[in-house]
Amino acid sequence: MLDFLVGPFAGNSFMANALLAGILVSVCCGIVGTFVVLRGLAFMGDALAHGALPGIAIALLLGLPGILGAAAGALAMVLGIGLITRRSNLGSDTAIGLLFVGMLALGVAIVSRSRSFSGDLVRILFGEILGIAPAEMALQFGATLAIGIATAVCYRPFLLLCFSPEQAETSGFPARVFHGIMLGMIALTVVVSFKTVGTMLVFGMLLAPAASAALFSRKVGTMMAAASLIGSLSTYLGLLASYYLDIAAGASIALAASAVFFVLLALTRLFRASRSRGSASEEAAHA
Amino acid sequence: MTRVNRLALPLVAAALLFAAGCSPARKETASRPAAAIVATYSVLGSVLGELVGDRIKVVTMIPNGLDVHEWEPSARDIEALTKAGLVVENGLGLEGGMGKALEQARRSGARFFTASDYIVVRKVGEGEGIPSGDPDQAIGADDPHIWTDPRAMKAVVAALAPEILKDFGIDVSGRAADLEGRLDALDAEIADETAALPEGSRKLVTGHESLGYFAQRYGFKLVGAVIPSLSTEAEGSAKDFKALEKLIAENGVKVVFTELGTPQKTVDALAREAGVRAVPLTTHSLPADGSYFSFERDLAGSIIGALK
Amino acid sequence: MPEDRAASALETGSLSIGYGSEAIVSSLNLSLERGMSLALVGANGSGKTTLLKTIAGLLAPLSGSIMVLGSPPLALPERVAYMGQFHPTSFMLPLRAIDVIRMGRFAALGLFGKAGSVDEEAVEEAIEVMSLGPIAKQPLNALSGGQRQRVFLAQAVARRAELLLLDEPAAGMDASSRLGYRRYIEAAAARGVSSIIATHDIEEAAACDQALLLARKVVAYGSGREVLTASAVSETFGLVGRYEDGKLVVMEPDHGHCGGED
Repeated sequence: MLDFLVGPFAGNSFMANALLAGILVSVCCGIVGTFVVLRGLAFMGDALAHGALPGIAIALLLGLPGILGAAAGALAMVLGIGLITRRSNLGSDTAIGLLFVGMLALGVAIVSRSRSFSGDLVRILFGEILGIAPAEMALQFGATLAIGIATAVCYRPFLLLCFSPEQAETSGFPARVFHGIMLGMIALTVVVSFKTVGTMLVFGMLLAPAASAALFSRKVGTMMAAASLIGSLSTYLGLLASYYLDIAAGASIALAASAVFFVLLALTRLFRASRSRGSASEEAAHA
Repeated sequence: MTRVNRLALPLVAAALLFAAGCSPARKETASRPAAAIVATYSVLGSVLGELVGDRIKVVTMIPNGLDVHEWEPSARDIEALTKAGLVVENGLGLEGGMGKALEQARRSGARFFTASDYIVVRKVGEGEGIPSGDPDQAIGADDPHIWTDPRAMKAVVAALAPEILKDFGIDVSGRAADLEGRLDALDAEIADETAALPEGSRKLVTGHESLGYFAQRYGFKLVGAVIPSLSTEAEGSAKDFKALEKLIAENGVKVVFTELGTPQKTVDALAREAGVRAVPLTTHSLPADGSYFSFERDLAGSIIGALK
Repeated sequence: MPEDRAASALETGSLSIGYGSEAIVSSLNLSLERGMSLALVGANGSGKTTLLKTIAGLLAPLSGSIMVLGSPPLALPERVAYMGQFHPTSFMLPLRAIDVIRMGRFAALGLFGKAGSVDEEAVEEAIEVMSLGPIAKQPLNALSGGQRQRVFLAQAVARRAELLLLDEPAAGMDASSRLGYRRYIEAAAARGVSSIIATHDIEEAAACDQALLLARKVVAYGSGREVLTASAVSETFGLVGRYEDGKLVVMEPDHGHCGGED
């Protein structure tokens, strides 16, 4: 049994590396994802993921590192959204939706010019965690560290922002500045993680573990830690499934993360239902 | 302080794991028992199989019939690669989807034999394909489809025998000589048959540009490709289609050869509008008996038969 | 710059407030001494929340001048506490009541300050003042609306500010909670803490030192008793009211009577 669970990782350095990279991504996404979920920034996270694609595509075509392109694309997306929301109130949802589609289509169109089109596209969208190189892991580690430090420093204003942007502002923490830092952290997470789980799936890794943690966490710090752990567990399960079932690794991980959420959701519902039934019957007994 | 602790703990754990992971990859020792030769695709695997017989196990990565340029390996496939006694690859970027996996195998210390290192590499020439602006398709790009020329395969076999002796300590030089002889015979056979074709008929319009080495060896002209690129994945544009039609008319071409991955609609349209006949070819995968010789004979036979 | 110990809690000169370019209320000339309380009275949309936000520094004034504790708005976050209206999104937060109250100390602590005994005391005091002892460790989403309101108020209390800006602080509270809150305001006033409270509760307004009646314009401004006449109230709310035994009694909405009863 132990060999079944540990064997693929002990026997293959590429699997062990993938697991480590996935854990780093999970810690990063667990921290950032907590704020994404609490502040309802899922929309923004999705936007950054869509925006990264054409940036990466252009960079690859020009022979530049994909990461620079991802950062440029994410920035363009944030600016684009900012522009749209500032100019119009009516129809800004539609405009932003079209921006998403436009960026995605642009990215696909650009990638289609390359000779290994469909492979490249799949790799950008879903990552290639099994092919992760030490340099890429170092980058992921650096990003995770940076995000950890930023969160530790900005913890109080972040907490206030989640509670109420007005309270943040009137407590002496300019809401726009710290909101900007938060967006920057999401962007960094998306940009760095596209090598491991890809731009489409990093969005799932931001949401699912944090959403799972939100189901039972009583404190924000706990939520971040729980999200990181759940993400790491999903990575492990996903890689295991990928190995034994011959399915794509990145997608397996995201699937595992989603499955964990739904299982936890069902469990917490059952747990709450049985507790209220228990207390209801207690009341009835006392009546 | 608990807040900082909670953040620090996973980071410290990750740092420790990272440090552990950075230790040098385990090196394969020469005395590993029962190691296999891993060939990337079936044609190469078949030739390898004939060379070593049942003295060494040969494993082929890309299943026969699947698109060689696109196929991506799973976790266990990568494992097989990293643990192989010898990896035999085509080179020149043929195995597009395996790029990272092959890198992984190199990093973990697997031994590599790159077939294209031992042949004269052909470059994409003028008038081949339709320049579609794709930087990869520039005239002068390396053509990786080396296996359609039996003489190229002979050179590969000749280089493989000493490599196998070095890596496995097994002498297959006798078998190599035998195989090389058979490849020579195959080559002569095809040369004779193609010589019988009139000069004007020796024009090839293909599904994608994969017959370069065949054409070069047996004196055919490559007129254009329906998918104007070296791989099956790029799709042609309307402009390319028109240019191809023009080329067909100018060269008096009567037959278009299609392959796995050729867009059927494009071929049908071409057949209708340019008045040509579509003939399917199998260029990347082996026939039922798994033999390279059958493969090459079928290929040459179909081409010659269609152009008579 | 004069030592702001002596400065008044609020000074405005011809202040115009609003969003964008449209003024909701113009020409506000307010003056509130330290240790005094000012009630902003009006219906929804009358401008009282807008005014409170402008004083808090969340909205820029459109024109005119405004000084809060002798400084521009938002310049003194450790000394001014703002409590906005009901925030539905907060309740998703995995926070306990005590965590929310502790957040009130962040203004004084800043990014890096280490929480010490002063902060502990402030939080304890706030919990006691709002009678939250039994439920302090409960998660926010397990509390009733009235309990949550007390928690938000406790957060403002924990800040130990010199000026309180409260928007409908007693909304959803039951009578005894409301009493506890009023007692706190009075005790704070005795210590020199000023408060500006937006409310549509006439009784609460009457208890304040000053009242400003708003209906997208200044209906009346002055001491609570004087200003809260039946006719002024009627103009502010379209309600009918009169004084009985020294207490202002508000009756049914005025149905189109011009000027109302007196």
